[in-house]
Amino acid sequence: MNDNDIPDGTQHPDSRLTADSSESVGLSGFHGDINELYGHEQAYRHLHTLLTDLGERKLYDAAAQCNRCGYCETSCPTYMLTGRETISARGRNQFLRMLVEGQAKDAGAAAEAFSTCLLCGACSSACYAKVPTPDIVLEGRRALQGYGDNFFARAAINTLLNAPAVFGFWLKLAYLAKKTGLPKLAAKMGLYDFLGMPGLVEAEGAVKHVPLHFAAEILRRDPDLEPGTKHAVNWAYFAPCGPNYLFTEVALATVRVLKKYSGEGIFAENLCCGLMAHNYGRIEDAREFARRNIVRYEDLKARFGDFPLIADCSSCAAFMKAYEQLFTADPEWRPRAKAFAAAVRDILEFIPPEKAGSADPAALEKAGRVTYHDSCRACHGQGIRREPREVLRALAGKNYRELPESDWCCGGAGAFAFTQPEISKKVLERKLRNIASVQADTVVVGATSCLAQINSGLREAYPSARAVHYSVFIDAVTGKNGQ
Amino acid sequence: MFKHDRIRAIRPELEAIVGPENIRTDEAEILMYSYDAGMARARPEAVITFTDTDQVAPVVRVLYRAGVPFLPRIAGTNLSGGTIPLKGGAILNLARLKKIRRIDTAAKVALVEPGVVNMELQRALEPFGFFYAPDPSSQKVSTIGGNIGENAGGPLCLKYGVTSDNVEQLEVVTPEGEIKTWSYRDPGPDLMSLMVGSEGTLGIITNAWLKILPIPAEIKTASAAFPSLESAMNAVTRIISDGIVPRALEAMDKVSLDAALGGKADRFPRGTEAVLIIELDGSDALQVGREVEKVEHICTANSCSAFKLASDEAERELLWQARKGAYPAMARLAPDVLVEDGVVPRPLLPQALRETREILSKYKLTAGLLFHAGDGNLHPNIIFDRRDIQEVKRVKKAGYEILKSCIKLGGTISGEHGVGVEKRVAMNWLYGREELEFFQKIKTAFDPAGLANPDKILPVATDQHVESGGLTSRTSLSPSARGIVDEMRLRAGSGARTAVTGLGTRLKPGRIMDGAKPLDLRTLNGLAVTDRANLTTRAEAGLSFKDLRRQLRNEGLYLDLPELEGSVGGLIASKVCPEMKEFLLGLEVITASGDLLELGGKTVKNVAGYDAIKLFCGSMGAYGVIIAATFALSAAPREWQAFPEPAAWDAFEPDSCHRRLKRQLDPGNLLNPWVYGDAKEGELPQ
Repeated sequence: MNDNDIPDGTQHPDSRLTADSSESVGLSGFHGDINELYGHEQAYRHLHTLLTDLGERKLYDAAAQCNRCGYCETSCPTYMLTGRETISARGRNQFLRMLVEGQAKDAGAAAEAFSTCLLCGACSSACYAKVPTPDIVLEGRRALQGYGDNFFARAAINTLLNAPAVFGFWLKLAYLAKKTGLPKLAAKMGLYDFLGMPGLVEAEGAVKHVPLHFAAEILRRDPDLEPGTKHAVNWAYFAPCGPNYLFTEVALATVRVLKKYSGEGIFAENLCCGLMAHNYGRIEDAREFARRNIVRYEDLKARFGDFPLIADCSSCAAFMKAYEQLFTADPEWRPRAKAFAAAVRDILEFIPPEKAGSADPAALEKAGRVTYHDSCRACHGQGIRREPREVLRALAGKNYRELPESDWCCGGAGAFAFTQPEISKKVLERKLRNIASVQADTVVVGATSCLAQINSGLREAYPSARAVHYSVFIDAVTGKNGQ
Repeated sequence: MFKHDRIRAIRPELEAIVGPENIRTDEAEILMYSYDAGMARARPEAVITFTDTDQVAPVVRVLYRAGVPFLPRIAGTNLSGGTIPLKGGAILNLARLKKIRRIDTAAKVALVEPGVVNMELQRALEPFGFFYAPDPSSQKVSTIGGNIGENAGGPLCLKYGVTSDNVEQLEVVTPEGEIKTWSYRDPGPDLMSLMVGSEGTLGIITNAWLKILPIPAEIKTASAAFPSLESAMNAVTRIISDGIVPRALEAMDKVSLDAALGGKADRFPRGTEAVLIIELDGSDALQVGREVEKVEHICTANSCSAFKLASDEAERELLWQARKGAYPAMARLAPDVLVEDGVVPRPLLPQALRETREILSKYKLTAGLLFHAGDGNLHPNIIFDRRDIQEVKRVKKAGYEILKSCIKLGGTISGEHGVGVEKRVAMNWLYGREELEFFQKIKTAFDPAGLANPDKILPVATDQHVESGGLTSRTSLSPSARGIVDEMRLRAGSGARTAVTGLGTRLKPGRIMDGAKPLDLRTLNGLAVTDRANLTTRAEAGLSFKDLRRQLRNEGLYLDLPELEGSVGGLIASKVCPEMKEFLLGLEVITASGDLLELGGKTVKNVAGYDAIKLFCGSMGAYGVIIAATFALSAAPREWQAFPEPAAWDAFEPDSCHRRLKRQLDPGNLLNPWVYGDAKEGELPQ
């Protein structure tokens, strides 16, 4: 090695490539010139670039792509409820742009705009340019002073990352606190908020049973899922936090459904996908979750070859499909994240409608009139609308009714119900009215946040109906007749 | 007083009306109301959100008394900067006033609040089998209040008219905070129609009674692909002049098509440069089917490469999504888009298109071209990046040149998006000093303190230095018309009172006040000048309506109105048939001071300036002397029921706004002085 090599050696050839390509995909070189959103020393807390429908973009260019046509406004739940531009999709994009351009001086002034966003992504669906408003809002949140620095939230996430067992203990603790009439204490511990448990403080009945055994513990003991001597598998189950820690029956139903429809599979023994850390402002933690899950996936892949990684919470599935975005400045991890993301499937899209089979009439009768709620991160986050409907129609037949405004957010949105209970309640009310309008008995959903949120609302306003996870519904109605 | 203080001073009063949480002055809120979908930017001092229509008038009264400017705003999708608070003040956010109060299918009227989204109204009407005709492409977000403020059009306005033609009655809060309810049928000058398209500069709409129509039994939608926009335009002209009135006739070029379909243009043959979307409707399936065949034939004769009838609702939906998404889809190509909105007489579309393309290539700009082809309304969507200052300059220049080219072709600067702030300067090119002064008088009559959406529509001092009034060629007047103009100028100079008598069909000599000198218009009866291809005719005021129709019929053209007695001018001024306004495109008027005004023109869409033409409908000769009118024609006759003329056509009790207008437009009460004055004195009561 001679001296001449040193300058090259300091820069990884791939990273130079990445940098170049990100320059060329942006627009005429405005980015980088101005960025008053955060200092360089804070860059690690932010995304390097955003992977948008129009290509890889710097944050500024992604926000500037909004031409203010306003066609997203009527899809934005918070705008429709308040009529305020400030808490609308377009407003939030403009706010971020003004912050970057230095027209808005105080990021704190944007706190309301950014913190009230449900991150539902309905705006991006409505947008022709698919401006990634949820990602832009998250970047804005990360720029807020102290965002994500909450001690309890940090402690909880660290626990989840490094000592899942301890986390389980926390949950059980929270459960006990709840049982002994101290739910506020549990809320203070920051458990509910990063668990994404909507309105837990408000609506106490949201979670009836916090299981004392988590899904992972049960699945680990399932002999069918033993990797054992298997050489190839049709699927691997990724247990998201909701099904794993809170809605164990969802996880178990998913596994039964997978076995029924897709044969041999394994349990991925995964960690949390990192979405909560990501949404709570600690992107470094989210990256760490992602890296560990990627490594886990790669190990399994080395052993079993290609297989789809099935998750049964749409929020996590959507987030994992976007893992690449976490690593756009990291030439080593970027391709690995991309490969991982390509293997992720939401259970909602995994069952082919033609294989749905037929339903058990008794179970179907018990389910009554069935409708389908588009979980935001399924329809807006992953574009999944058709597949689950076709399966449900095939199974429920004329008992299936289309839900009006089915892609209107339920207001759960992770911890939104916890941080913005007032707006969340109004968002939920509209969802409940729509459910009542079709006189549904069973509302099928794909994300555990929706499950808790809609059920908490139904219990109060429309107790004859209940929300049921897609897997649970399929498992229940195909119990005998499924393939 | 500092700007900041003027809101603080009235804040308690405002809070008492709308509640403290609905008055916002924090930086976040101020910034978020500093933009709309156009280019202009300015910050308000406060944003006031209403939760009840009853709150609007009291708030306006407080603001007016304190001298604080204000403007109404709802979805903020304005494309001409109309909702930008140029002088600060308060934004009146009406977005939460979104109740559909009543749907009356028997009376065919819907009563709605201004914040109702156009599409939501359509959805509410659908179960009853009805629709509201104006369907701007932005209907998914734009609101009835905004549609009325801008006099929005949309594809369907080719057959069913623009917003102005589909409003029955309006409740308006005047700039001083009075509540008025006006219908176009009320006797006297049509104030309701004047409000439509006034962009919040004359008042704020708080309730609107809208005409609703039964959904036609048969609707057929077709797409036709053409190898060039020119051939598509030729087909358009041919379709219309053959007497077919499609429900919609829209054109888009390849750039728009690609953007809207996300590059999936493979539904059209290779080499497609333009697509027409043609929609026909009617109650008779056979008739609609015949029209579809005729249209297909015309398209094929104009080198259409693929004519395809949408086979189901989904396919029809897709075509409309492509058309209505063509503007927002421009966001895929660049971060900013300037939407021009020029209008030309329909047969001149190919030429306007040619000139537009030359201008775009001269300034090295890319644009998706969209046309409400049947209306002659062009929307070049010029894409750019606001952060490139040089490019912005080129875009602005190109935009202005496109407008100038429309004006030179006998068109106008805005068909449906409004003048706002961005086309203000172009008003100087379209109108002469006289018309602009006339508009200013209207504004002053309603808003003497200039607080309602200030500095919009009318050019301000800084816009004046640009060339003025030279672009339009004034209509050449007949010798007798010139004689009348000279006579009126003389009378204005000497302060002589005039009784405008027309043919004397309705105005009987007994009504004429002593001392008012009759002005006989029966010499203004030259042959009407008809533009066959454009389907318009210009008739002098003294021509009897029957003679006009006879002449038209001989040319195979029709005016879609019942049989009426009297002169062209007399019928307009007496408003015995209020529906006449729907066919009135242009008006030539002599003011009390002897100025000749040319209002409107030969295009079916025009929102440049106030709709003063409507103000003369029912004006009874007291606001000005009508000397000629331009009407829209149809190439196919329609049956009319016998028309019972209202008995008391002149039972007119002037509104305070009528009187204020009279004081502005004819301060000396020189024209038909008995209409507003005391019969003996002829003075205007104060």
